Amino acid sequence: MKSKKILAAATAALMAFSPISVMAESTEASTEASTEGEATAVTTVGPENGTKFEMWSFVDVHNEFYGKMVDLWNKQNPDKPVTITFTTYPYSDMHNKLMMSLQAGEGAPDMCDVEIGQFPNYTGENCPLYPLTDALAPYEDKMVKSRLDVYSQADGTRIGVPTHVGASVMYWNAEIFEKYGLDYKSVKTWDDYTKLGEQLKEASNGEVYLTSVDTGGTDWMWVAMAEYGEDWTGGPDGEVNVELDSVKKMLTMQQQWLKDGIAMVSTDGHVDLEAGYKNISEGKIASFPKAMWFMSRFVNYMPEMKGKYDITTIPVFEDGQKCSVGIGGTGTVVTNQCKNPELAAEWLTWAKCSKEGEEHIWNDLGFDVCNKSLWSDKAFAYDKSNVYNTFFRVMPYEVLNELADKDAIGTVYTTSVSPTLNDYINTTTLNEVLEEGKDVDEALAEAQDYVDMEIG
Amino acid sequence: MYKIKKALNSQKVAPFVFVLPFILSLLIFWAYPLISGIVMSFQNIDFGVKVWVGPAHYLKLAHDKFFRIAVWNSIEYMALTLLLMIPIPLLLAVLMESRLTKAKGVWKVIMYIPALTSVVISGMLFRMMFSEADGSQMNRLLEWFGKAPIAWLKSKPTAWVALLLLCMWRWTGVNILYFLSGLKSIDDVLYEAADIDGASARQKFWYITLPLIKPTTIYVVTISVYAGLAMFLESFMLWNGNSSPKNIGLTIVGYLYKRGIEKNDIGYACAVGVILLIIALAINTIQLVATGTFKKEER
Amino acid sequence: MTASTAKVRISHHTAGTIISTGLFAIIGFFIAFPLVAGLLASFHPGRELVQNGLSLNLDFKTMTLNNYKYLFGFGGGDSKVDSAKYFLWYKNSLVLTITTVILTLLVCYFVAYGLTMYNFKLRGFLLFLVIATMCVPFEILMLPLYQEVTGMKLINTNAGVILPGLCAASTIFFFRQYMVTLPRELLDAARIDGCSEYGISVRIMMPITKPAFASMAILCAMGSWNNMLWPMLVFRDAKKFTLQIGLNTLLTPYGNNYDLLIAGSMFGIIPILAVYLLFQKYLIEGMTAGALKG
Repeated sequence: MKSKKILAAATAALMAFSPISVMAESTEASTEASTEGEATAVTTVGPENGTKFEMWSFVDVHNEFYGKMVDLWNKQNPDKPVTITFTTYPYSDMHNKLMMSLQAGEGAPDMCDVEIGQFPNYTGENCPLYPLTDALAPYEDKMVKSRLDVYSQADGTRIGVPTHVGASVMYWNAEIFEKYGLDYKSVKTWDDYTKLGEQLKEASNGEVYLTSVDTGGTDWMWVAMAEYGEDWTGGPDGEVNVELDSVKKMLTMQQQWLKDGIAMVSTDGHVDLEAGYKNISEGKIASFPKAMWFMSRFVNYMPEMKGKYDITTIPVFEDGQKCSVGIGGTGTVVTNQCKNPELAAEWLTWAKCSKEGEEHIWNDLGFDVCNKSLWSDKAFAYDKSNVYNTFFRVMPYEVLNELADKDAIGTVYTTSVSPTLNDYINTTTLNEVLEEGKDVDEALAEAQDYVDMEIG
Repeated sequence: MYKIKKALNSQKVAPFVFVLPFILSLLIFWAYPLISGIVMSFQNIDFGVKVWVGPAHYLKLAHDKFFRIAVWNSIEYMALTLLLMIPIPLLLAVLMESRLTKAKGVWKVIMYIPALTSVVISGMLFRMMFSEADGSQMNRLLEWFGKAPIAWLKSKPTAWVALLLLCMWRWTGVNILYFLSGLKSIDDVLYEAADIDGASARQKFWYITLPLIKPTTIYVVTISVYAGLAMFLESFMLWNGNSSPKNIGLTIVGYLYKRGIEKNDIGYACAVGVILLIIALAINTIQLVATGTFKKEER
Repeated sequence: MTASTAKVRISHHTAGTIISTGLFAIIGFFIAFPLVAGLLASFHPGRELVQNGLSLNLDFKTMTLNNYKYLFGFGGGDSKVDSAKYFLWYKNSLVLTITTVILTLLVCYFVAYGLTMYNFKLRGFLLFLVIATMCVPFEILMLPLYQEVTGMKLINTNAGVILPGLCAASTIFFFRQYMVTLPRELLDAARIDGCSEYGISVRIMMPITKPAFASMAILCAMGSWNNMLWPMLVFRDAKKFTLQIGLNTLLTPYGNNYDLLIAGSMFGIIPILAVYLLFQKYLIEGMTAGALKG
């Protein structure tokens, strides 16, 4: 009885203390002991004597790619080997965690992938990232400049290394146009495009829409702004202005398409969603503008579309305009908690900008690479073993080279006002204009008021 | 030694020994973070550099119409979930307990599984069922009734049907579980006595079950108040992100993420959080005082 | 099955039985529909779900076990996820959940016991604090708590995940609300028998709180199994990731691995469902009428 009493008292009273020590001990022990048997779960690449780094990403295949680049680096640079431990986190949580650890001043990785939309959070006065201008210098003139600019401070200091251009292009369901005997290849301007839409409507009895316009995404607006060389964020140090001619023209045109039954509103808001893939694969829509990386959606979710789709440049409002813009992206950074930032930066820029790295980015990840010097390299760009080179009716780099020749890729910045701006446009403006037919000027004026109030 | 043991065993000291873990946890894991959180709501925080801005965040909140939308949506959602998620699960639990229902185990398991499915998957399933596409389940149902398909998630009334159904789908089984364990604490003798007195099923429900299950009901109300006000994931899941058309699915926590955390404005996020805390605490305190939960002697 | 049993037992309850059971059958159907559709989808290539939406199409010809093969590592070189990883996440989740449930239930039970079974000055205030902590949005605490746990060297440990949530206010409050209805006379009887305060809490009260333990075990396990935000911040080593963290890495801005995600999530329900089946029988036991007369 007595011993039981003591036991009961002890359990109750010590409840708060005991688990701390027990658990802390046991978990630490297991960390050390478990390195061997569970080697597959944790990815550390590189030799024992290499300089150790920790790197996070939110895409597993990015880390696989970096792993390959570590091996290659160590082969080429036996004098300065690196050893990197890679961790893949869920997308929004990784950014959340990176933010916490940089705010707290401890616990951040040495290198990390940052999605472009999150990037503005890390720029500014107290930027917690290591400047990469020097490390990027050897590649600077070969890279697509606008892609370096979007991962830079307002003063031009480079702080992120880009992964892809994300050049927006026009995807066409060539099979549909052939079926109705329509010529999409001669479309140069939006007027041509609209006419084609009328023809398609007539030929298909209104069953096939020329395209679907987005209420939950700003890709169309970005294209329009790039064509007119405008930017609603105002750039790194400009002022927000959503009441742009380009945006007004695009929205007015889209409103007219909807009225005329040429276009539909994208099911669930934009085409990069389950319902969008369905509309594409069922031939409900015949064309749409999207970034190059949308190619992987075809391969992953719509493999039966092989050979049916074509890619061209996007129509323009007026001849001679730019007709593409880099959309989306991931900038990889070196944080200020890195103990050996020079080496990290050297490895990172090499891994993502050198020919060796870009080959993997194109062949493994399927991205249009930022190193322009490779675009015309036949062995690099037109290799038939690359899945995208045989999936579409055109080799993607042919379109990219066309864009490069015309210097047709414009820039729209992602800045600290972008989240507010995009949010209002996506939740409110586009819905008002495209779903409810609200007056374009009025809707944009309200958007402007809101954004001014938010940031003012 | 004996004295200490005796003291520890006295009815004066024992309660404090029992609640010690809570007090410790409160001091270690709540007091500091909460106070820092409140302090941060008066600051701008940019990577270690903190600047005192006074009530600026709160003033901004007071003037933000989207914050008002968010607060209103959250309160509305809370009220509706209370209306739906207390009486229905309670009645179902009573029915489940009665001899009338067969194959109880099967129904209980089916109703409980939704709470276990991952948030991502259940969001995707509901998004597909309520898709505006012609082939979605809900639009086919409309078709069956001879109605034209609609864009369920683009206007508030229909979107909220989806939102509330999702809530009921996920949590009805869990609330039933609470009520079932509450029903178990009612002494069978009471029902037997009522049977002898010839009470009807309805009378037994009104005069025995309902009063005696009150503590459980209060519990479910209390957690539902906070859960309803802090709802975020359901909306996030249904619209595949934190943006819904015309903000029909914007909630306080959604606003907190959108305007605070996603924009690296932790101070602002904390101010939103503090307001949520105040609203939830106020409603719950009123509710608990009104139901007499804080009274010294309950019986 | 239900209809035939109802017919056999002819009584005046028959109509009620049919209505009541029928009601549950209807509700059950609507609840099960998305689940079954999801389960069926896990036997189809992910792109089919993506393109065609949900369906209850039971066409065995098009069904495949490929998603599960990938998941369990029999998919060969094609596999998009390392099966060793999946099972490691699974194991981590199990360990974390079991530890959390046991510790949380014990701690919360005793705290609630202290709050309910004694009259003391601070009681009302402490109860208010319990309620108050239930109303604090985690997002306010996130950054300071992260700093604190880092400072305590608990980052990347299970302890760092479990300890801050050990005194779960909602669990305490549930136990409290349950115990409030129990007669305190039992305690006095035990005291007269010479039982210590702590002995009473373990040997007299614990057995009659079984239904509360059962439902809290089920709920706690569910919460811990699905918890993601805080474990995500604490763990910084892929070896320690839980199933939820791991599965969510399959969703990326560059495309979602629906194949694995849906199979992985469906398979992930199993242990937590086992917990339910294990504990729900205690829910049924309830109170024995005789022990509590008074």
